[in-house]
Amino acid sequence: MFKKALLALPVALALGATAHAEKPPEEVLQDLIDSVDSAYLTQSEQNLLMMADNPAMWTGMDGEDLFHTPRGPNNVSMEACDFGKGPGVLEGAYVELPRYFEDTDRVMDLENRIVHCMTEVQGFAADDPAVARRHGSGSDHMKIQTYIAMQSNGMEWNNPLDHPLEIAMRDAGEVMFYRRSGIADFNCNTCHGESGKRIRASVLPSKDVPQEWTKAMSWPAFRVGHDNVRSSQHRIRGCYWQMRMPRINPDGDASIALMSYWTDASRGQPAILPDMKR
Amino acid sequence: MLKKTPIAAGIAALATIFIAGGCAVADADKSNAVDYTAMTPEELAEHLIFEANGFVLDQEVQEGGTTRQRMVQDDLHKACSVIGGGDPDQETLEAVRAAAAESIVYPEGGIELGDWERGRELAWSGFGYRVGHKTDDHSARDVGGNCYNCHQLATDRTGGNLGPSLTGYGKTRGTSEAMLKYAYDMIYNPHVYFPCTNMPRFGHSGFLDEQAIADIMAYMFDPESPVNE
Ligand code: HEC
Ligand code: HEC
Repeated sequence: MFKKALLALPVALALGATAHAEKPPEEVLQDLIDSVDSAYLTQSEQNLLMMADNPAMWTGMDGEDLFHTPRGPNNVSMEACDFGKGPGVLEGAYVELPRYFEDTDRVMDLENRIVHCMTEVQGFAADDPAVARRHGSGSDHMKIQTYIAMQSNGMEWNNPLDHPLEIAMRDAGEVMFYRRSGIADFNCNTCHGESGKRIRASVLPSKDVPQEWTKAMSWPAFRVGHDNVRSSQHRIRGCYWQMRMPRINPDGDASIALMSYWTDASRGQPAILPDMKR
Repeated sequence: MLKKTPIAAGIAALATIFIAGGCAVADADKSNAVDYTAMTPEELAEHLIFEANGFVLDQEVQEGGTTRQRMVQDDLHKACSVIGGGDPDQETLEAVRAAAAESIVYPEGGIELGDWERGRELAWSGFGYRVGHKTDDHSARDVGGNCYNCHQLATDRTGGNLGPSLTGYGKTRGTSEAMLKYAYDMIYNPHVYFPCTNMPRFGHSGFLDEQAIADIMAYMFDPESPVNE
Protein backbone atom coordinates (compact mmCIF):
# COMPACT_ATOMS: atom_id res chain seq x y z
CA MET A 1 0.00 0.00 0.00
CA PHE A 2 2.78 2.36 1.00
CA LYS A 3 4.74 1.56 -2.13
CA LYS A 4 1.72 2.16 -4.31
CA ALA A 5 1.12 5.55 -2.82
CA LEU A 6 4.71 6.57 -3.37
CA LEU A 7 4.63 5.62 -7.02
CA ALA A 8 1.27 7.17 -7.70
CA LEU A 9 2.00 10.44 -5.99
CA PRO A 10 4.35 12.06 -8.49
CA VAL A 11 1.92 11.47 -11.33
CA ALA A 12 -0.98 12.87 -9.36
CA LEU A 13 1.07 15.92 -8.45
CA ALA A 14 2.30 16.42 -11.95
CA LEU A 15 -1.25 16.45 -13.20
CA GLY A 16 -2.03 19.31 -10.89
CA ALA A 17 -4.08 17.15 -8.57
CA THR A 18 -7.49 18.70 -8.17
CA ALA A 19 -10.38 17.55 -6.05
CA HIS A 20 -11.26 14.56 -8.20
CA ALA A 21 -7.75 13.16 -7.96
CA GLU A 22 -8.36 12.51 -4.27
CA LYS A 23 -9.64 9.08 -5.04
CA PRO A 24 -7.39 7.46 -7.62
CA PRO A 25 -8.96 5.19 -10.27
CA GLU A 26 -8.01 2.00 -8.44
CA GLU A 27 -9.94 3.16 -5.39
CA VAL A 28 -12.95 4.13 -7.47
CA LEU A 29 -12.86 0.60 -8.83
CA GLN A 30 -12.34 -0.93 -5.39
CA ASP A 31 -15.45 0.85 -4.11
CA LEU A 32 -17.45 -0.63 -6.98
CA ILE A 33 -16.07 -4.08 -6.25
CA ASP A 34 -17.10 -3.71 -2.61
CA SER A 35 -20.61 -2.61 -3.60
CA VAL A 36 -21.62 -5.50 -5.83
CA ASP A 37 -20.86 -9.16 -6.40
CA SER A 38 -19.30 -9.16 -9.86
CA ALA A 39 -17.04 -11.68 -11.57
CA TYR A 40 -16.36 -9.09 -14.27
CA LEU A 41 -15.05 -6.43 -11.89
CA THR A 42 -12.83 -8.86 -10.03
CA GLN A 43 -11.55 -10.95 -12.96
CA SER A 44 -8.04 -9.52 -12.98
CA GLU A 45 -6.36 -9.15 -9.63
CA GLN A 46 -3.16 -8.49 -11.52
CA ASN A 47 -4.64 -5.40 -13.19
CA LEU A 48 -5.98 -4.13 -9.88
CA LEU A 49 -2.52 -4.29 -8.39
CA MET A 50 -0.97 -2.62 -11.41
CA MET A 51 -3.46 0.22 -11.62
CA ALA A 52 -1.54 2.58 -9.36
CA ASP A 53 1.23 2.45 -11.95
CA ASN A 54 -1.10 2.54 -14.94
CA PRO A 55 0.99 3.48 -18.00
CA ALA A 56 -2.03 5.47 -19.20
CA MET A 57 -1.12 8.08 -16.57
CA TRP A 58 1.98 8.91 -18.54
CA THR A 59 -0.02 9.06 -21.75
CA GLY A 60 -2.26 11.56 -19.98
CA MET A 61 0.73 13.63 -18.91
CA ASP A 62 1.92 13.83 -22.50
CA GLY A 63 -1.60 14.93 -23.32
CA GLU A 64 -1.41 17.72 -20.79
CA ASP A 65 1.57 19.18 -22.64
CA LEU A 66 -0.09 18.83 -26.02
CA PHE A 67 -3.32 20.34 -24.77
CA HIS A 68 -1.77 23.48 -23.34
CA THR A 69 0.80 24.09 -26.09
CA PRO A 70 -0.13 26.46 -28.93
CA ARG A 71 -0.24 24.24 -32.02
CA GLY A 72 -1.39 24.00 -35.60
CA PRO A 73 -1.36 26.60 -38.35
CA ASN A 74 -3.33 28.97 -36.12
CA ASN A 75 -0.87 28.50 -33.27
CA VAL A 76 -3.46 28.29 -30.53
CA SER A 77 -3.74 25.84 -27.68
CA MET A 78 -6.76 23.65 -27.04
CA GLU A 79 -7.63 25.88 -24.10
CA ALA A 80 -9.60 27.86 -26.67
CA CYS A 81 -11.83 24.85 -27.29
CA ASP A 82 -15.14 24.13 -25.65
CA PHE A 83 -15.65 20.55 -24.51
CA GLY A 84 -19.10 21.30 -23.21
CA LYS A 85 -18.44 23.32 -20.10
CA GLY A 86 -16.88 26.38 -21.69
CA PRO A 87 -13.52 27.04 -23.36
CA GLY A 88 -10.68 25.25 -21.61
CA VAL A 89 -12.87 23.82 -18.83
CA LEU A 90 -12.04 20.14 -18.49
CA GLU A 91 -13.06 19.18 -15.00
CA GLY A 92 -16.13 16.96 -15.33
CA ALA A 93 -16.40 17.63 -19.07
CA TYR A 94 -15.88 14.05 -20.22
CA VAL A 95 -18.56 12.43 -18.04
CA GLU A 96 -21.04 14.76 -19.74
CA LEU A 97 -20.20 13.60 -23.26
CA PRO A 98 -21.59 12.92 -25.79
CA ARG A 99 -23.58 16.15 -25.76
CA TYR A 100 -25.11 18.64 -28.19
CA PHE A 101 -22.86 21.47 -29.39
CA GLU A 102 -24.45 24.53 -30.84
CA ASP A 103 -21.47 25.52 -32.98
CA THR A 104 -21.73 22.31 -35.01
CA ASP A 105 -25.43 21.65 -34.43
CA ARG A 106 -24.45 18.11 -33.65
CA VAL A 107 -24.16 15.66 -30.75
CA MET A 108 -20.46 14.86 -30.37
CA ASP A 109 -18.29 12.47 -28.40
CA LEU A 110 -14.84 13.35 -27.08
CA GLU A 111 -12.98 12.10 -30.13
CA ASN A 112 -15.09 14.07 -32.59
CA ARG A 113 -14.86 17.14 -30.41
CA ILE A 114 -11.07 16.91 -30.38
CA VAL A 115 -11.11 16.59 -34.17
CA HIS A 116 -13.32 19.67 -34.34
CA CYS A 117 -10.96 21.60 -32.06
CA MET A 118 -7.89 20.58 -34.06
CA THR A 119 -9.37 21.38 -37.47
CA GLU A 120 -11.57 24.38 -36.75
CA VAL A 121 -9.71 26.14 -33.97
CA GLN A 122 -6.09 25.07 -34.36
CA GLY A 123 -6.39 24.89 -38.15
CA PHE A 124 -4.91 21.44 -38.71
CA ALA A 125 -5.78 19.81 -42.03
CA ALA A 126 -7.99 16.76 -41.64
CA ASP A 127 -5.26 14.51 -42.99
CA ASP A 128 -2.60 15.85 -40.64
CA PRO A 129 -1.39 12.96 -38.45
CA ALA A 130 -2.44 14.95 -35.38
CA VAL A 131 -6.03 14.61 -36.56
CA ALA A 132 -5.97 11.43 -38.59
CA ARG A 133 -4.03 9.10 -36.28
CA ARG A 134 -6.57 7.92 -33.76
CA HIS A 135 -5.03 4.86 -32.14
CA GLY A 136 -2.01 3.91 -30.07
CA SER A 137 -0.47 5.44 -26.95
CA GLY A 138 1.86 7.43 -29.18
CA SER A 139 -0.93 9.24 -31.04
CA ASP A 140 -1.85 12.81 -30.16
CA HIS A 141 -5.45 11.69 -29.93
CA MET A 142 -4.87 9.10 -27.25
CA LYS A 143 -2.68 11.46 -25.26
CA ILE A 144 -5.19 14.29 -25.38
CA GLN A 145 -8.21 12.06 -24.83
CA THR A 146 -6.57 10.49 -21.81
CA TYR A 147 -5.66 13.88 -20.33
CA ILE A 148 -9.16 15.27 -20.78
CA ALA A 149 -10.85 12.10 -19.52
CA MET A 150 -8.69 11.97 -16.39
CA GLN A 151 -10.20 15.28 -15.31
CA SER A 152 -13.44 13.35 -14.79
CA ASN A 153 -12.06 10.46 -12.73
CA GLY A 154 -14.44 9.40 -9.99
CA MET A 155 -17.24 11.63 -11.23
CA GLU A 156 -20.65 10.31 -12.17
CA TRP A 157 -21.54 9.72 -15.80
CA ASN A 158 -24.19 12.23 -16.70
CA ASN A 159 -24.50 12.87 -20.43
CA PRO A 160 -27.21 15.50 -20.85
CA LEU A 161 -30.52 14.47 -22.40
CA ASP A 162 -32.02 17.93 -22.69
CA HIS A 163 -31.66 18.82 -26.34
CA PRO A 164 -33.99 16.89 -28.68
CA LEU A 165 -30.96 15.69 -30.66
CA GLU A 166 -29.38 14.25 -27.51
CA ILE A 167 -32.53 12.25 -26.86
CA ALA A 168 -32.84 11.14 -30.49
CA MET A 169 -29.23 9.95 -30.58
CA ARG A 170 -29.48 8.08 -27.28
CA ASP A 171 -32.65 6.33 -28.44
CA ALA A 172 -31.15 5.40 -31.81
CA GLY A 173 -28.13 4.03 -29.93
CA GLU A 174 -30.44 1.82 -27.91
CA VAL A 175 -31.93 0.42 -31.11
CA MET A 176 -28.43 -0.26 -32.40
CA PHE A 177 -27.47 -2.08 -29.21
CA TYR A 178 -30.33 -4.55 -29.65
CA ARG A 179 -30.27 -4.72 -33.43
CA ARG A 180 -29.35 -8.16 -34.70
CA SER A 181 -27.92 -8.63 -38.16
CA GLY A 182 -25.14 -10.24 -40.14
CA ILE A 183 -23.81 -13.70 -40.79
CA ALA A 184 -23.57 -14.52 -37.07
CA ASP A 185 -26.92 -12.96 -36.04
CA PHE A 186 -25.36 -11.01 -33.17
CA ASN A 187 -26.34 -7.84 -31.39
CA CYS A 188 -24.46 -6.25 -28.50
CA ASN A 189 -26.90 -7.83 -26.09
CA THR A 190 -25.84 -11.35 -27.15
CA CYS A 191 -22.66 -10.91 -25.15
CA HIS A 192 -23.45 -8.01 -22.80
CA GLY A 193 -26.99 -8.78 -21.68
CA GLU A 194 -26.26 -10.90 -18.63
CA SER A 195 -23.82 -10.73 -15.76
CA GLY A 196 -21.26 -13.51 -15.20
CA LYS A 197 -21.16 -14.68 -18.82
CA ARG A 198 -17.85 -15.52 -20.42
CA ILE A 199 -16.43 -15.68 -23.94
CA ARG A 200 -13.84 -18.40 -23.38
CA ALA A 201 -12.09 -17.19 -20.20
CA SER A 202 -12.99 -13.48 -20.53
CA VAL A 203 -15.76 -12.38 -18.19
CA LEU A 204 -18.12 -10.05 -20.02
CA PRO A 205 -19.63 -6.90 -18.53
CA SER A 206 -23.41 -6.65 -18.45
CA LYS A 207 -24.98 -3.48 -19.75
CA ASP A 208 -27.75 -3.96 -17.19
CA VAL A 209 -25.43 -3.92 -14.17
CA PRO A 210 -24.39 -0.26 -13.98
CA GLN A 211 -21.46 -0.97 -11.65
CA GLU A 212 -20.08 -3.33 -14.30
CA TRP A 213 -20.99 -1.14 -17.21
CA THR A 214 -19.21 1.93 -15.84
CA LYS A 215 -15.96 0.01 -15.88
CA ALA A 216 -16.76 -1.45 -19.28
CA MET A 217 -17.15 1.97 -20.89
CA SER A 218 -14.47 3.77 -18.87
CA TRP A 219 -12.06 4.53 -21.70
CA PRO A 220 -9.30 5.52 -22.28
CA ALA A 221 -7.86 2.46 -20.63
CA PHE A 222 -4.51 0.78 -20.89
CA ARG A 223 -5.15 -2.57 -22.55
CA VAL A 224 -2.52 -4.87 -21.18
CA GLY A 225 -2.98 -7.36 -24.03
CA HIS A 226 -2.38 -4.59 -26.59
CA ASP A 227 0.31 -2.79 -24.59
CA ASN A 228 -1.41 0.45 -25.59
CA VAL A 229 -3.95 2.94 -24.32
CA ARG A 230 -7.24 2.47 -26.15
CA SER A 231 -10.33 4.61 -26.71
CA SER A 232 -14.09 4.05 -26.69
CA GLN A 233 -14.09 4.19 -30.47
CA HIS A 234 -11.41 1.50 -30.56
CA ARG A 235 -13.53 -0.79 -28.35
CA ILE A 236 -16.62 -0.26 -30.48
CA ARG A 237 -14.63 -1.07 -33.60
CA GLY A 238 -13.39 -4.27 -31.93
CA CYS A 239 -16.82 -5.48 -30.92
CA TYR A 240 -18.32 -4.87 -34.38
CA TRP A 241 -15.38 -6.78 -35.80
CA GLN A 242 -16.09 -9.75 -33.53
CA MET A 243 -19.72 -9.52 -34.59
CA ARG A 244 -18.63 -9.87 -38.25
CA MET A 245 -20.13 -6.51 -39.02
CA PRO A 246 -18.55 -3.76 -41.11
CA ARG A 247 -16.00 -1.32 -39.82
CA ILE A 248 -17.72 1.48 -37.97
CA ASN A 249 -16.79 5.03 -38.92
CA PRO A 250 -15.52 6.91 -35.84
CA ASP A 251 -16.64 10.20 -37.36
CA GLY A 252 -20.13 8.99 -38.13
CA ASP A 253 -23.15 9.61 -35.97
CA ALA A 254 -23.79 5.87 -35.59
CA SER A 255 -20.83 5.45 -33.23
CA ILE A 256 -21.84 8.57 -31.30
CA ALA A 257 -25.42 7.33 -30.94
CA LEU A 258 -24.13 4.07 -29.50
CA MET A 259 -21.96 5.99 -27.03
CA SER A 260 -24.86 8.23 -26.02
CA TYR A 261 -26.74 5.09 -25.12
CA TRP A 262 -23.91 3.31 -23.33
CA THR A 263 -23.09 6.40 -21.31
CA ASP A 264 -26.73 6.76 -20.30
CA ALA A 265 -26.57 3.12 -19.15
CA SER A 266 -23.85 4.11 -16.65
CA ARG A 267 -25.56 7.25 -15.46
CA GLY A 268 -24.83 7.97 -11.80
CA GLN A 269 -21.92 5.53 -11.61
CA PRO A 270 -18.39 6.84 -11.06
CA ALA A 271 -16.00 6.89 -14.01
CA ILE A 272 -12.69 5.02 -13.69
CA LEU A 273 -10.21 7.17 -15.57
CA PRO A 274 -7.88 6.05 -16.77
CA ASP A 275 -8.82 2.40 -16.45
CA MET A 276 -6.79 -0.72 -17.08
CA LYS A 277 -8.21 -3.63 -19.04
CA ARG A 278 -7.18 -7.09 -20.17
CA MET B 1 -13.61 32.88 -34.89
CA LEU B 2 -15.14 33.26 -38.31
CA LYS B 3 -14.09 29.67 -38.74
CA LYS B 4 -16.74 28.45 -36.38
CA THR B 5 -19.78 29.72 -38.21
CA PRO B 6 -21.76 26.82 -39.61
CA ILE B 7 -21.30 27.96 -43.19
CA ALA B 8 -17.54 28.18 -42.94
CA ALA B 9 -17.44 24.87 -41.16
CA GLY B 10 -19.59 23.36 -43.87
CA ILE B 11 -17.31 24.60 -46.62
CA ALA B 12 -14.24 23.44 -44.74
CA ALA B 13 -15.78 20.03 -44.33
CA LEU B 14 -16.74 19.83 -47.97
CA ALA B 15 -13.24 20.75 -48.98
CA THR B 16 -11.93 18.03 -46.73
CA ILE B 17 -14.18 15.48 -48.28
CA PHE B 18 -12.95 16.32 -51.77
CA ILE B 19 -9.34 16.21 -50.68
CA ALA B 20 -9.66 12.99 -48.77
CA GLY B 21 -11.63 11.36 -51.55
CA GLY B 22 -14.81 11.02 -49.62
CA CYS B 23 -13.52 9.02 -46.74
CA ALA B 24 -13.58 11.34 -43.91
CA VAL B 25 -14.26 13.76 -41.31
CA ALA B 26 -17.69 14.80 -41.38
CA ASP B 27 -17.69 17.44 -38.85
CA ALA B 28 -20.07 18.32 -41.56
CA ASP B 29 -23.50 19.28 -40.74
CA LYS B 30 -25.80 17.35 -42.83
CA SER B 31 -28.23 18.36 -40.13
CA ASN B 32 -30.26 20.63 -42.34
CA ALA B 33 -30.84 17.90 -44.86
CA VAL B 34 -32.53 15.54 -42.40
CA ASP B 35 -34.18 16.16 -39.09
CA TYR B 36 -33.13 13.41 -36.69
CA THR B 37 -35.74 14.49 -34.19
CA ALA B 38 -38.56 13.87 -36.67
CA MET B 39 -37.64 10.18 -36.94
CA THR B 40 -38.54 7.25 -34.73
CA PRO B 41 -35.52 5.71 -32.97
CA GLU B 42 -35.72 2.79 -35.43
CA GLU B 43 -35.78 5.09 -38.44
CA LEU B 44 -32.89 7.10 -37.10
CA ALA B 45 -30.83 3.97 -36.43
CA GLU B 46 -31.43 2.81 -40.02
CA HIS B 47 -30.51 6.25 -41.27
CA LEU B 48 -27.30 6.40 -39.24
CA ILE B 49 -26.25 2.93 -40.37
CA PHE B 50 -27.11 3.16 -44.06
CA GLU B 51 -27.31 6.81 -45.06
CA ALA B 52 -25.07 8.80 -42.74
CA ASN B 53 -21.70 7.16 -43.29
CA GLY B 54 -21.98 5.18 -40.06
CA PHE B 55 -20.18 2.09 -41.38
CA VAL B 56 -17.95 1.13 -44.28
CA LEU B 57 -20.64 -0.57 -46.34
CA ASP B 58 -18.86 -1.12 -49.63
CA GLN B 59 -16.11 -3.53 -48.61
CA GLU B 60 -16.21 -6.91 -50.31
CA VAL B 61 -17.06 -9.79 -48.00
CA GLN B 62 -15.89 -13.40 -47.98
CA GLU B 63 -19.26 -14.87 -48.99
CA GLY B 64 -19.54 -12.48 -51.97
CA GLY B 65 -21.24 -9.12 -52.01
CA THR B 66 -20.43 -6.23 -49.70
CA THR B 67 -20.43 -5.38 -46.00
CA ARG B 68 -23.78 -3.65 -46.49
CA GLN B 69 -25.55 -7.02 -46.37
CA ARG B 70 -24.05 -7.71 -42.93
CA MET B 71 -26.13 -4.78 -41.63
CA VAL B 72 -29.34 -5.57 -43.51
CA GLN B 73 -31.75 -7.46 -41.27
CA ASP B 74 -33.54 -10.60 -42.45
CA ASP B 75 -36.90 -11.69 -41.01
CA LEU B 76 -35.30 -13.51 -38.10
CA HIS B 77 -33.12 -10.55 -37.17
CA LYS B 78 -36.13 -8.28 -37.15
CA ALA B 79 -38.27 -10.70 -35.15
CA CYS B 80 -35.55 -11.37 -32.57
CA SER B 81 -34.31 -7.80 -32.00
CA VAL B 82 -36.16 -6.84 -28.86
CA ILE B 83 -35.33 -3.56 -27.15
CA GLY B 84 -34.35 -4.26 -23.57
CA GLY B 85 -33.61 -7.91 -24.34
CA GLY B 86 -35.85 -10.90 -23.81
CA ASP B 87 -38.10 -12.68 -26.28
CA PRO B 88 -40.81 -11.46 -28.62
CA ASP B 89 -44.40 -12.70 -28.20
CA GLN B 90 -45.34 -16.36 -28.58
CA GLU B 91 -46.77 -15.95 -32.06
CA THR B 92 -43.55 -14.42 -33.34
CA LEU B 93 -41.51 -17.18 -31.70
CA GLU B 94 -43.67 -19.79 -33.43
CA ALA B 95 -43.13 -18.08 -36.78
CA VAL B 96 -39.36 -18.03 -36.19
CA ARG B 97 -39.43 -21.72 -35.27
CA ALA B 98 -41.47 -22.63 -38.35
CA ALA B 99 -39.19 -20.69 -40.68
CA ALA B 100 -36.16 -22.37 -39.10
CA ALA B 101 -37.67 -25.82 -39.68
CA GLU B 102 -38.17 -24.94 -43.36
CA SER B 103 -34.59 -23.79 -43.72
CA ILE B 104 -32.70 -26.92 -42.76
CA VAL B 105 -30.98 -28.82 -45.55
CA TYR B 106 -29.53 -32.26 -44.82
CA PRO B 107 -26.45 -33.78 -46.47
CA GLU B 108 -27.32 -35.97 -49.45
CA GLY B 109 -25.96 -39.14 -47.94
CA GLY B 110 -27.51 -38.46 -44.54
CA ILE B 111 -25.85 -37.11 -41.41
CA GLU B 112 -22.39 -38.58 -40.90
CA LEU B 113 -19.61 -37.93 -38.46
CA GLY B 114 -16.35 -36.67 -39.96
CA ASP B 115 -12.85 -36.25 -38.56
CA TRP B 116 -12.90 -35.35 -34.86
CA GLU B 117 -9.32 -34.08 -34.87
CA ARG B 118 -10.12 -31.47 -37.49
CA GLY B 119 -13.38 -30.82 -35.66
CA ARG B 120 -11.44 -30.09 -32.47
CA GLU B 121 -9.54 -27.27 -34.16
CA LEU B 122 -12.64 -25.91 -35.88
CA ALA B 123 -14.61 -25.91 -32.62
CA TRP B 124 -11.86 -23.83 -31.04
CA SER B 125 -11.11 -21.45 -33.89
CA GLY B 126 -12.73 -18.03 -34.08
CA PHE B 127 -11.29 -17.35 -37.51
CA GLY B 128 -13.55 -16.40 -40.37
CA TYR B 129 -15.86 -13.76 -41.81
CA ARG B 130 -14.34 -10.87 -39.86
CA VAL B 131 -14.07 -7.71 -41.92
CA GLY B 132 -12.93 -4.13 -41.54
CA HIS B 133 -9.61 -3.14 -40.06
CA LYS B 134 -8.44 -6.78 -40.23
CA THR B 135 -10.15 -8.95 -42.81
CA ASP B 136 -10.01 -12.74 -42.55
CA ASP B 137 -8.49 -14.31 -45.65
CA HIS B 138 -10.34 -17.57 -46.13
CA SER B 139 -7.74 -18.88 -48.56
CA ALA B 140 -5.17 -18.83 -45.78
CA ARG B 141 -7.09 -20.74 -43.09
CA ASP B 142 -10.25 -22.75 -42.54
CA VAL B 143 -13.25 -20.97 -41.10
CA GLY B 144 -13.76 -21.94 -37.47
CA GLY B 145 -16.97 -22.57 -35.55
CA ASN B 146 -16.40 -20.40 -32.47
CA CYS B 147 -18.00 -23.16 -30.37
CA TYR B 148 -15.55 -22.69 -27.48
CA ASN B 149 -16.40 -19.01 -27.34
CA CYS B 150 -19.77 -19.98 -25.91
CA HIS B 151 -19.46 -23.62 -24.81
CA GLN B 152 -17.20 -25.75 -22.69
CA LEU B 153 -16.29 -28.88 -24.68
CA ALA B 154 -13.23 -30.99 -23.83
CA THR B 155 -11.74 -29.60 -20.65
CA ASP B 156 -8.17 -29.20 -21.90
CA ARG B 157 -9.22 -25.73 -23.13
CA THR B 158 -11.34 -23.12 -21.43
CA GLY B 159 -14.70 -22.54 -23.04
CA GLY B 160 -17.24 -19.79 -22.48
CA ASN B 161 -20.63 -20.11 -20.83
CA LEU B 162 -23.03 -18.18 -23.06
CA GLY B 163 -24.30 -21.62 -24.00
CA PRO B 164 -24.54 -24.81 -21.88
CA SER B 165 -21.54 -27.07 -21.33
CA LEU B 166 -21.16 -29.73 -24.01
CA THR B 167 -18.54 -31.72 -22.11
CA GLY B 168 -19.16 -35.45 -22.50
CA TYR B 169 -21.90 -34.72 -25.05
CA GLY B 170 -21.72 -37.94 -27.08
CA LYS B 171 -21.09 -40.10 -24.04
CA THR B 172 -24.14 -38.83 -22.15
CA ARG B 173 -26.52 -38.31 -25.07
CA GLY B 174 -25.58 -41.32 -27.17
CA THR B 175 -25.30 -41.44 -30.96
CA SER B 176 -28.79 -42.46 -32.03
CA GLU B 177 -30.06 -41.14 -35.34
CA ALA B 178 -32.44 -38.81 -33.51
CA MET B 179 -29.60 -37.43 -31.41
CA LEU B 180 -27.38 -36.80 -34.42
CA LYS B 181 -30.25 -35.09 -36.19
CA TYR B 182 -30.88 -32.90 -33.16
CA ALA B 183 -27.24 -31.82 -32.99
CA TYR B 184 -27.13 -31.24 -36.73
CA ASP B 185 -30.26 -29.10 -36.54
CA MET B 186 -28.79 -27.14 -33.63
CA ILE B 187 -25.70 -26.34 -35.62
CA TYR B 188 -27.57 -25.71 -38.86
CA ASN B 189 -30.35 -23.55 -37.44
CA PRO B 190 -30.84 -23.66 -33.66
CA HIS B 191 -33.99 -21.52 -33.86
CA VAL B 192 -35.92 -24.65 -34.69
CA TYR B 193 -35.60 -25.69 -31.01
CA PHE B 194 -34.78 -22.36 -29.38
CA PRO B 195 -36.44 -19.56 -31.34
CA CYS B 196 -34.51 -16.30 -30.99
CA THR B 197 -31.55 -18.08 -29.39
CA ASN B 198 -28.19 -16.31 -29.22
CA MET B 199 -26.49 -19.17 -31.04
CA PRO B 200 -25.68 -18.40 -34.71
CA ARG B 201 -27.25 -20.32 -37.60
CA PHE B 202 -24.02 -21.90 -38.74
CA GLY B 203 -25.48 -24.00 -41.56
CA HIS B 204 -28.26 -21.73 -42.76
CA SER B 205 -25.98 -18.70 -43.02
CA GLY B 206 -23.26 -20.65 -44.80
CA PHE B 207 -20.81 -19.86 -42.00
CA LEU B 208 -19.83 -23.55 -41.81
CA ASP B 209 -19.89 -25.94 -44.76
CA GLU B 210 -21.10 -29.55 -44.71
CA GLN B 211 -17.64 -30.96 -44.04
CA ALA B 212 -16.97 -28.57 -41.17
CA ILE B 213 -20.29 -29.48 -39.54
CA ALA B 214 -19.51 -33.22 -39.94
CA ASP B 215 -16.07 -32.77 -38.38
CA ILE B 216 -17.36 -30.70 -35.45
CA MET B 217 -20.10 -33.25 -34.87
CA ALA B 218 -17.44 -35.97 -34.79
CA TYR B 219 -15.65 -33.96 -32.13
CA MET B 220 -18.88 -33.91 -30.11
CA PHE B 221 -19.87 -37.57 -30.64
CA ASP B 222 -16.84 -39.71 -31.48
CA PRO B 223 -15.99 -41.98 -28.52
CA GLU B 224 -12.30 -41.25 -29.22
CA SER B 225 -12.81 -37.50 -28.97
CA PRO B 226 -11.50 -35.78 -25.81
CA VAL B 227 -15.01 -34.32 -25.41
CA ASN B 228 -16.11 -37.83 -24.37
CA GLU B 229 -13.18 -38.84 -22.23
C1 HEC C 1 -19.64 -12.12 -29.59
C2 HEC C 1 -19.60 -11.47 -28.32
C3 HEC C 1 -19.62 -9.93 -28.28
C4 HEC C 1 -20.52 -9.09 -28.85
C5 HEC C 1 -21.68 -9.48 -29.73
C6 HEC C 1 -20.17 -7.77 -28.41
N1 HEC C 1 -19.10 -7.82 -27.58
FE1 HEC C 1 -18.36 -6.27 -26.47
N2 HEC C 1 -16.94 -7.51 -25.74
C7 HEC C 1 -16.80 -8.84 -26.01
C8 HEC C 1 -15.63 -9.37 -25.34
C9 HEC C 1 -15.13 -10.81 -25.41
C10 HEC C 1 -15.08 -8.29 -24.62
C11 HEC C 1 -13.92 -8.29 -23.66
C12 HEC C 1 -12.62 -8.45 -24.28
C13 HEC C 1 -11.58 -8.91 -23.29
O1 HEC C 1 -11.89 -9.13 -22.11
O2 HEC C 1 -10.46 -9.04 -23.72
C14 HEC C 1 -15.93 -7.15 -24.89
C15 HEC C 1 -15.72 -5.90 -24.34
C16 HEC C 1 -16.59 -4.83 -24.46
C17 HEC C 1 -16.48 -3.60 -23.74
C18 HEC C 1 -15.36 -3.24 -22.77
C19 HEC C 1 -15.27 -4.11 -21.58
C20 HEC C 1 -13.88 -4.59 -21.28
O3 HEC C 1 -13.61 -4.90 -20.12
O4 HEC C 1 -13.05 -4.69 -22.18
C21 HEC C 1 -17.51 -2.80 -24.14
C22 HEC C 1 -17.85 -1.42 -23.63
C23 HEC C 1 -18.26 -3.55 -25.14
N3 HEC C 1 -17.68 -4.78 -25.30
C24 HEC C 1 -19.34 -3.07 -25.83
C25 HEC C 1 -19.98 -3.76 -26.86
C26 HEC C 1 -20.95 -3.18 -27.75
C27 HEC C 1 -21.43 -1.75 -27.70
C28 HEC C 1 -21.34 -4.15 -28.61
C29 HEC C 1 -22.26 -4.03 -29.80
C30 HEC C 1 -21.84 -3.07 -30.80
C31 HEC C 1 -20.63 -5.37 -28.23
N4 HEC C 1 -19.79 -5.07 -27.20
C32 HEC C 1 -20.81 -6.61 -28.81
C33 HEC C 1 -17.66 -9.61 -26.76
C34 HEC C 1 -18.72 -9.13 -27.49
C1 HEC D 1 -22.75 -17.02 -29.43
C2 HEC D 1 -22.73 -18.16 -28.60
C3 HEC D 1 -22.78 -19.54 -29.21
C4 HEC D 1 -21.91 -20.09 -30.12
C5 HEC D 1 -20.77 -19.39 -30.85
C6 HEC D 1 -22.27 -21.47 -30.24
N1 HEC D 1 -23.34 -21.74 -29.44
FE1 HEC D 1 -24.23 -23.55 -29.21
N2 HEC D 1 -25.58 -22.74 -27.93
C7 HEC D 1 -25.59 -21.43 -27.52
C8 HEC D 1 -26.70 -21.23 -26.63
C9 HEC D 1 -27.06 -19.90 -25.95
C10 HEC D 1 -27.36 -22.47 -26.53
C11 HEC D 1 -28.60 -22.80 -25.70
C12 HEC D 1 -29.83 -22.62 -26.52
C13 HEC D 1 -30.68 -21.51 -25.93
O1 HEC D 1 -31.15 -21.67 -24.79
O2 HEC D 1 -30.84 -20.48 -26.60
C14 HEC D 1 -26.62 -23.39 -27.35
C15 HEC D 1 -26.95 -24.74 -27.49
C16 HEC D 1 -26.21 -25.66 -28.19
C17 HEC D 1 -26.50 -27.06 -28.28
C18 HEC D 1 -27.65 -27.79 -27.59
C19 HEC D 1 -27.20 -28.21 -26.21
C20 HEC D 1 -28.08 -29.28 -25.59
O3 HEC D 1 -28.34 -29.17 -24.40
O4 HEC D 1 -28.45 -30.22 -26.27
C21 HEC D 1 -25.55 -27.63 -29.07
C22 HEC D 1 -25.41 -29.09 -29.45
C23 HEC D 1 -24.67 -26.58 -29.48
N3 HEC D 1 -25.10 -25.39 -28.94
C24 HEC D 1 -23.56 -26.74 -30.29
C25 HEC D 1 -22.74 -25.72 -30.73
C26 HEC D 1 -21.64 -25.92 -31.64
C27 HEC D 1 -21.20 -27.24 -32.20
C28 HEC D 1 -21.11 -24.69 -31.87
C29 HEC D 1 -19.97 -24.33 -32.81
C30 HEC D 1 -20.18 -24.68 -34.19
C31 HEC D 1 -21.86 -23.73 -31.09
N4 HEC D 1 -22.85 -24.39 -30.41
C32 HEC D 1 -21.60 -22.37 -31.05
C33 HEC D 1 -24.71 -20.45 -27.89
C34 HEC D 1 -23.68 -20.60 -28.79
